[in-house]
Amino acid sequence: MPPAASTPPAPRPGAPRPAALLLALALSLAGPGLQAAGPGPGSPGVPGVAGVPPPGLLRQAARAALHFLNFRAGSPSGLRVLAAVLRGRAATMRNPPALCFSVPLVISLGGSSVVGIFHQISSQNHVDARRTCRVDLEFTAERYGPEADGRLGRCSARVVFRRQQPRPAVNVTCARFMETSRRRREDLLLYKRAKRLRAPPGATSMPDSHGWIDPSLRPMWDLAFLGSSYVMWERTTQTLHYYMAQLSSVNQWKTNEDAIDFDYTVLLHEFSTQEIIPCRIHLVWYPGKPLKVKYHCQELHTAQEGSGTEGG
Amino acid sequence: MSHQALLGPRYPFEGALVSKKIKDNKLATTLVTGLCRMQLDVTRKLGRRPTPWPLPLPPPPPLGLAGPTPFPLPQDRTGLATGHRVPLAPSFRVLCSLKAPPKARPGNLEQVFQARPLLTQQHVLGDRSLEGKQASEPVLVTALRTWMEKSLAQPRHEVVEETGSPWQSLDTYSYIRYHPMEEIYQWMIQISEKYAGVATQHFLGMTYETRPMYYLKISQPSDNPKKIIWMDCGIHAREWIAPAFCQWFVKEILQNYKDNPRIGRFLRNLDFYVLPVLNIDGYIYTWTTDRLWRKSRSSHNNGTCFGTDLNRNFNVSWCSIGASKNCQDITFCGSGPVSEPETKAVSSFVESKKESIVCFLTMHSYGQLILTPYGYTKNKSSNHEELIQVGQKAANALKKKHGTNYRVGSSADILYATSGSSRDWARDIGIPFSYTFELRDNGTYGFILPAAQIQATCEETMEAVLSVLDDVYERYWNSDSAGKVTPATVVLGLLVSLVSIF
Repeated sequence: MPPAASTPPAPRPGAPRPAALLLALALSLAGPGLQAAGPGPGSPGVPGVAGVPPPGLLRQAARAALHFLNFRAGSPSGLRVLAAVLRGRAATMRNPPALCFSVPLVISLGGSSVVGIFHQISSQNHVDARRTCRVDLEFTAERYGPEADGRLGRCSARVVFRRQQPRPAVNVTCARFMETSRRRREDLLLYKRAKRLRAPPGATSMPDSHGWIDPSLRPMWDLAFLGSSYVMWERTTQTLHYYMAQLSSVNQWKTNEDAIDFDYTVLLHEFSTQEIIPCRIHLVWYPGKPLKVKYHCQELHTAQEGSGTEGG
Repeated sequence: MSHQALLGPRYPFEGALVSKKIKDNKLATTLVTGLCRMQLDVTRKLGRRPTPWPLPLPPPPPLGLAGPTPFPLPQDRTGLATGHRVPLAPSFRVLCSLKAPPKARPGNLEQVFQARPLLTQQHVLGDRSLEGKQASEPVLVTALRTWMEKSLAQPRHEVVEETGSPWQSLDTYSYIRYHPMEEIYQWMIQISEKYAGVATQHFLGMTYETRPMYYLKISQPSDNPKKIIWMDCGIHAREWIAPAFCQWFVKEILQNYKDNPRIGRFLRNLDFYVLPVLNIDGYIYTWTTDRLWRKSRSSHNNGTCFGTDLNRNFNVSWCSIGASKNCQDITFCGSGPVSEPETKAVSSFVESKKESIVCFLTMHSYGQLILTPYGYTKNKSSNHEELIQVGQKAANALKKKHGTNYRVGSSADILYATSGSSRDWARDIGIPFSYTFELRDNGTYGFILPAAQIQATCEETMEAVLSVLDDVYERYWNSDSAGKVTPATVVLGLLVSLVSIF
């Protein structure tokens, strides 16, 4: 059991409130095996109470874990999204370990890159962005897409966010929501449908402005999401998280060889900054094989371009 | 130079159509309504000199229709840099598609000139102090000039397309489709016509690109003083589900207030002020150019950068956190607090009515959240507990409808830091119930929510808003008595009941 729950918080600048310290002591005396009960689904967290990580951080971790899982599974029929966080705790990885919290920081891009900090922040909640933060959590996930039938699967994960750096380390297990054989069959079906698809002309928006995706083009969308999962996992940090907003162009869709070779541009929506980030992704997929993906994201004004490769 | 017809945005028009026939020595006039747009015919050569102002005026109004002294034309706007090719003394026309009562024939060009448009001076200058004064033709000229300068300075992809027949009946208006701004303008006119006794359209101000902002006031005439519920949608251009909800909300209230006692009782003591699209320029831009645009379309840095995040532009801890001073950023807070005409229009109006406004609702997407103040600080408002309670009750009511989960909390706690938001500003000027709604979904489609989900989203959101209204109503009025529930009456009631026991 990580020792996070058994030591009082590390001393910080400013006087910690006596009540919070007592609470922390009480928690530490409760012994190993204590899990901070995170907020249940639908209820707001209570940040500032020692021992309870705010829901923001747990959700960040859940999302990073699912992006990573989706990428590693390499199955466009088996994509999952977050339903609700059940419980979790977070600790820094310093020695002695301390509680780490996530305060929603907004990083302004552009000429004035300012990291905003709340003035009234109590010393307990002062986030130290330089520390690593290990989050252990349990959450539920559901199937992505129109086939979602409301069934939830349980997942547990350990996610380590490093110093506001991307590429959180993820260890995640999810209950299967579909029999493996069925998932393989669906992947194969998707593969066959994809092979028969002709690529739509260059700059097509999927979905269109009214949210419509042609059902026959669904395999393309699912593969686009699969490739984006890799990008979104890599880019997720303690404070930044992403959604795939739109497939904005198909640069290449090759199905003549065995694998599907897909080169496209996707618009990612970064939630806390509200920015739209165009990313060019090139993936090669064959059912049952690990996904090969390369990408390059355009940063809008500051130098921080990002790219990555996986699987050669 | 080639012949070019530049079309301006359409303005709703209400005026008197003068028939050329003279009956009994009187000019026959008929009241017409319609949509007009100005058409500039660039048939003359373009030169490098600015147009000699003023433009040639149309013929003066005939007898009986002359209004008060025409307003003097404002000074030339600076900004026409040398090198700009501007038309020399262009000809312009005003084209209106008019709807007139059966006996009158729809108007044509010349007859429009003889009418008094409701485009008062304020429409053009954005000066609310001149509200109510009728203007004559020079105002049309001024509006035209302002628009013309702007459109000649900018690349032309803002020509408003003809969307087929301009008039569709309210009976066939689809509330489960997304509508372009043209149609929303028409819809507002039709609503105020069909529900004339209870729904009226009002001018709020002009956008940066000189489009009129209108809100609908839903109010049952009565003697007792009313409290006001304010709802605005579409402050962020790409959040299309929000204006769709505002239209749905208006429709629900108006279709049901007579038969539905829950809604009917609201209208006894409450007026609804609904602004279906706040960021009109941005909304239009998402239809014509960039579906994921968020900000307004104001021009900065000499036309090299566009748009202010209107929800960072209000005068509350302006630009202190969660916003950027860089115009290129998507959360650009503007050149100063309330620097944008849209913000100014909403701000000054809400401020002027703040004693009566009890509830300020601003609709956004996405995220499935009900947000209370504040975003600029982690401190909580004085009535935070109550706001959370009311919000949670609303989220529960919402979930009952289609099972959708909404989370409730302060913006700083469950979303991210923001400053200059309309919700925080409204709370800080004293409006007690101030909420931001972030509608569907949770990221699967995000801003580009499929039209197929409009109905379900609107139905569940309606339940949430009605729940908030129930609580607001209970707080200020007992269900049946007309008396206000104040601490004094409660204490008095207790005393009376205590006295009666002994």
